[in-house]
Formats: sequence, structure tokens, C-alpha cells
Amino acid sequence: MIGPDAPVFVDYFDGRSAVPRRMELTIDGTRLLLIPAEGSTIVWPLDRMRRLPDQAGSDGLTLAPADGGPARLYIPDGAADLADALRAAIPARAAPPPIPNFRARLVGLSAAALTSVALILFVLVPLMADQLATLLPPEGEAALGDATLEQIRSALDESGRDGLDFCTAAPGRAALGRMTDRLAKHTEFPFPLKVHVLDHEMVNAFALPGGHVVLFRGLIDAANDPDEVAAVLAHEMGHVAGRDATRGALRSAGSIGILGLIFGDFAGGTVALFLANQLIEAQYSQATEERADAYGIALMQKAGLPPEALGRFFETLRQQEGARDERSLLDHLSSHPALLDRIEAAGRAARPAQVSPVLNSSDWQALRAICR
Amino acid sequence: MAAALGTDFIGRKGALFGLALRLSILTVVTLGFYRFWMKTRLRRWYWSAIRPGGHPLEYTGDPLEKLLGFLIAVVFLSFYIGVFNLILMFFSFSYLGDNFVAYAASFVIVIPFIFFAQYRARRYMLARTRWRGIRFGLEPGAWGYAWRAMVYWALTIVTLGALWPLMTFRLEKFRTDRTWFGSARLHQGGRWTALILPALPALLCLWGTLGLGLVAAVTEDPTPVLGLVLTLPLLGIAWVHYRLRALRYLTETKRLGEDVGLTLHPRLGRVLAITVFGHLLVGLFLGLLLGGVGIAVGILLGIGAAGGVDFEALPPWVFVVAGMVAYFGGFILWDVLRQVFVRMPLLAHYVATLEIDNAHALAPLAQRERDDFADAGGFAEALDVGAAL
Ligand SMILES: [Zn+2]
Repeated sequence: MIGPDAPVFVDYFDGRSAVPRRMELTIDGTRLLLIPAEGSTIVWPLDRMRRLPDQAGSDGLTLAPADGGPARLYIPDGAADLADALRAAIPARAAPPPIPNFRARLVGLSAAALTSVALILFVLVPLMADQLATLLPPEGEAALGDATLEQIRSALDESGRDGLDFCTAAPGRAALGRMTDRLAKHTEFPFPLKVHVLDHEMVNAFALPGGHVVLFRGLIDAANDPDEVAAVLAHEMGHVAGRDATRGALRSAGSIGILGLIFGDFAGGTVALFLANQLIEAQYSQATEERADAYGIALMQKAGLPPEALGRFFETLRQQEGARDERSLLDHLSSHPALLDRIEAAGRAARPAQVSPVLNSSDWQALRAICR
Repeated sequence: MAAALGTDFIGRKGALFGLALRLSILTVVTLGFYRFWMKTRLRRWYWSAIRPGGHPLEYTGDPLEKLLGFLIAVVFLSFYIGVFNLILMFFSFSYLGDNFVAYAASFVIVIPFIFFAQYRARRYMLARTRWRGIRFGLEPGAWGYAWRAMVYWALTIVTLGALWPLMTFRLEKFRTDRTWFGSARLHQGGRWTALILPALPALLCLWGTLGLGLVAAVTEDPTPVLGLVLTLPLLGIAWVHYRLRALRYLTETKRLGEDVGLTLHPRLGRVLAITVFGHLLVGLFLGLLLGGVGIAVGILLGIGAAGGVDFEALPPWVFVVAGMVAYFGGFILWDVLRQVFVRMPLLAHYVATLEIDNAHALAPLAQRERDDFADAGGFAEALDVGAAL
């Protein structure tokens, strides 16, 4: 503590005027005494004071009443002993909130705010997207599909060139055309169906707005026979019929901006943003997958193809699941917990009276070589 | 008359580095949630380092107020941005067959909110700033500011920058004339025409750059573009020159109450030197730190491989986590080092040149009431347009 022979002079502000008042400061037991050159002494009990937190100075410090009052006391640099003693006796903390029950109100308001955002994100935006998707004219949907296809090609291209290659070997394309025609005969889309194969080892396929269906080379490689590929194609045609991809694209147009707001720009933000949007996307597709399955199975039946091929393919996927990498996060064909149910549903479906192979063996070989 | 009050900046790089690093790590670990605390605590630190007349500024902002304001802003903006972007996307594809227009329009619809947010953030910042125990304040007026800012920006763009000084002056006057310290109002004097001469070098560089681009586009010959190597750095320097001269003029022509005056005289050479060498230092330290970590990891991997550890057999999440740590670690360090070597030295230079003239005229001034306003600069937080610190 400070002895009587070491007076320290401090600047005191009463919180009403900006004029500094010089005071001699002494510590008297548990009280601070502030003695002005003239006028009465001010007494501050140590246990009713606080230190300002996060201060830049190393030895000086600023004291304030613990109740949030506006008076301030500046202990200057150079009175290190006194500053140390005060640091030990007085806690550093921010002023208490001036509004009563501030924290309780904060919790209530936060809950209300989060509920509102969730309602917008999970109810309003999807609802609007579903409505708008049905209103989108076919040309608009085709343009949306073209744009999305380009985005996906360049996003998956790891070499940084002008996007992932389309597989276009002529015999393979012809075989794929025959498979597509066999199924498409029984559909009515407002735009021509465009089936692409992309040269990537991912075991996946997806539908895009405007009648684009994309199969990855990895999927064709993983399939045991052409019926399995046809079953996946029929499932994706179910997404085309349901305009699921269009709804998804419109939903993400609305939700990505909202997610950007919530996560802000901490450390580049984009990674979290991307993952969060992926999660929402996956949730969107869960409800629609079964519809697409049902559509695909019915389509297989109409085309005289074995509908259980879809189940066989899922079974193959399920067995490979353990060996596959983190890409399955993006893989809507295999990422659902209900996969076993889906295998079963496909297995239960009735076989049509007459089943004929979708491709002959030379066409199947040609399709497997489409990327070469 | 009393002598002018000078201003000290007493912050030290080491202390800032430690504080900023701890707060940044907490922010990343909490998925960004801690950023309200981070911003508050950093601002407390910066404010306490600024000492006009030897008495530190004080920042009394509350992270919970910031969080609450942010939530309110997010609800409002979620509705606005979510619904609007969706409709824009729909119309853009229905009638134009492309999404470029939607992206452009979705940016344009946010612009008024950016100005609105900037004003609100300034209001919160001033309402939570004290000097000598006395509160600052800014009167409400965010929408008035937003539409004026839009009009002046439009004028500036239409005149290819010629009316930039008008915009600088009028917007600063709008803000200044609504600013209070205790019971004393700040007043912006001077004329906008005084900023024309300081803006001239920057405008000439801007027009030179635009001219080169135009010539290259018309003649379809890319050689004039080489001139940008000269005009772009010059434009940068001339731009900083204008900012500093404008700041100096606009500070000198401010009056607090009856006759308290301010002066600020930052130097162009110093500001450029801090910016250039500061960034070099940031790059150097970042390179050394990341290089060191890289070598350490390499050695560890080598030891592991020699000890028979099969890295191929590790589950993929190990690599994902390692990648995330490297990514966020690099990002945090970059930001923290930039605070230490660029932002803080720049602030220190500006602050050290601030003087308060005729300070004894502060005597009659009294405290002002606390400004309890709802959103605590939350819009600025949501749109990420908060003040520089
Ligand atoms: Zn599907």
C-alpha cells in the first residue's frame, strides 16, 4: 500500500462536466479517499468500484463506479505501486446493462429472432420457390439449367481448365440415346430431355432444371448391368418431372443470401456458407427422393424394364459406402438414412409382364467406354 | 489563451497482437458467434489507447446489445434479401434467360441499406464513446443520410468523379452537424470548393486510366493498357493524398460548441510508408510463421513415416480438420498481423497529429443523456460495413 509520504495526484471527472479535477488519492482500508485542493473529500468504497477492462495502457488505469455511473478516475502512468494495489482490489468489468432484466429480454428476443429467420429460411422461401417453379416458363427453366450445368462443370474441374469434360464417344452416345428413348417414350416433358455423361469418378447422378440429366462416369463404372443405369436415369427423370432441381435452384437463390447474413464474414465465411447451404439442399431433396423413386419405378415398369434394378444399384452403393470418401456428403443418391427402405420398396415393385434388356451387350460395352 | 491539447497514442504492438489473436481464435472456434465480443473488446482497447489531453477515450459498447441488434437486423434483412433474391432470380430467368441481371440487381437493392447501416453504426459508436466521462452522440437521421448518399454517389458517377469533392463535403457536413459532445454540438464549416484542388491529381489519374481503357477498347489494340502500370499506382497515391487533405480541411473547419477547434495533419509520406512497409512486414511474418509450421509438419510426417505410421490409412476427417486448421489459422494470422502492422500504426499516426484548440472552452459543457436505441449498429454488423475499427 501507499504510505503517507507518497501522495499520488489523479484526475477526477464527476460525469457531469468535462473539466478535470486534480485530487490527492489515498487508500484508507477499504475506501479510496479523493482529497481536492479545496472542497470536501470524496469517498469511494473499493467494493463498489470497477476497473475498465481491455485497456491499452500497461500501468495507468481507469476506475468507475460499479453501478455504471458516469464518474471516472484516471490513475496516471508512473504510479505503479498504487496501480498494482488497485488492480488486486478491484475487478475489471464492463458496466452493468442499464435496462432492467436486459439479459432475460435478450434471450426472449433472440429466440423470437431465430424463430423468424428459421420460418423464413425453411417455410417462406421453400414455399415461394415451389410456387415460382411452377410459374417459370420452359425457356426460363432451360436457361437456368444451362447456367447451373456450367457452374457444376467448372466447380468439379480440379485441373482449373474450362470445366469438366463431357463424354462423347459416338458408340457410347448412341447406346445412351437408345436407353434414354426407351424411357422417355413414356414421359411428357415441356422440353427435350438432355442426358450428359461427365468424366468424373464420383458415383453420382443428378437432374438439373430444364431437362438436363447428368450421369458421372463413376456411376456407369459402378453399375453391374445396363438396367441399373437405366433405373438411375428413370429416377432422375422423376426429378425432372417434379421440377425438383428448379425448386432447389430457386430456394438456394433465396437461402444463400440469408446464410451469408447469419454467418457473416468470419475468416472468409464462404466455406461455412457452402457447407450450410449443402445441408439445406440435402434436406430439401430428402422428401422428394421417394417421389422420384416411385416415378422411376413406374417408368421402368411402363418401359418393360426390371424395376428392382434401382434396389440392386442402391445395394451395390451401400456395400461400397464404407470404402467411399467424404464426397458422399454431396451425393444425393446414397446419403439418405432411409436407403434400406428405398432398396426394399424397389424390390417390392412388380415386374412388368414382359421384360427385355435395355441394351444389348455390345451397346453396354460401348456405354462403359463412352469417356474413352 | 491556453495552449492546444495534444493527443497521445499509447497502444503497443505486442499487447494488441496477443489480444487480437486470442479474440480471433475464439471467434473462429465459436463459428463467428464471438465476433460481437471481439469487436467490442478490440474497440475498448483502441479507444483506451487514444488520449487527447492525456485522458483516454472510453468505449462502453455492449456485445449483447450488438448481438441483439444483429438479430433484429437479420430478421428484417432475411425477409428482404431472401424474398427479393428469389423473385429477382425468377424474373431474371423467365424474361432474360440469364442470372447476371439478378446478381447485379440483388447488389443494388442492398445499397441503400449499406448507407443506412453506416450511419446507424456511427450513431451507436458515438453514443458509446466517452471522453473525460462525457458521452458523444449522433442525432437520428439514417434514412436522410442514405438517400443523400445515393444522390451524391449518382452525381459523382454521372460526372465521372468530378463532383466527388461535393459528395465528400456534404456527407461529412450531414454527419458532423448532427454530432454532439455532451451538451455541445459539432459544426462543419468551410466550403466544398476548397476540396476541388486536392482532388485534382486523383481525378486526372482516374480520367487517364479510363481514357487508356477506352482507347484500347475502340482501337482493339491492347498496348495502351500497359499505361495502367503507371496510372494505377499513381491513382492510388493521389487517392490517399485526397483523403488526407480532405480529412485535414474538414477537421480544421469543424467547431465544437462556440469556439473549440480541432486540427489534424497526417502526412502523406508517412501514411504511404506505413501502408507499404506494414504490408511487407505482414507478408514476411506470415511467410515465416507458415513456413515454420510447414517445416515442423514435414519433420513430424518424416518421423511418423520412419516410425512406420501409414498415413494412407488415416481416416479422411483427419485431413479435413488439418486443412481447416491451416486455412483458418492462415486467415486469422493475416488479419491479426494486419491490425498490428498496418491498422494500429496508421491510427497511431492520425491520432498523434490531432490537437484540440481552445480546450478551456469545454468548461461550460455538460453531460448528455444516454441514447438507448434499439439495433446497436446491428445492420452494419449484418451487412459487414462497420466502421474500420
Ligand atoms: Zn434423387
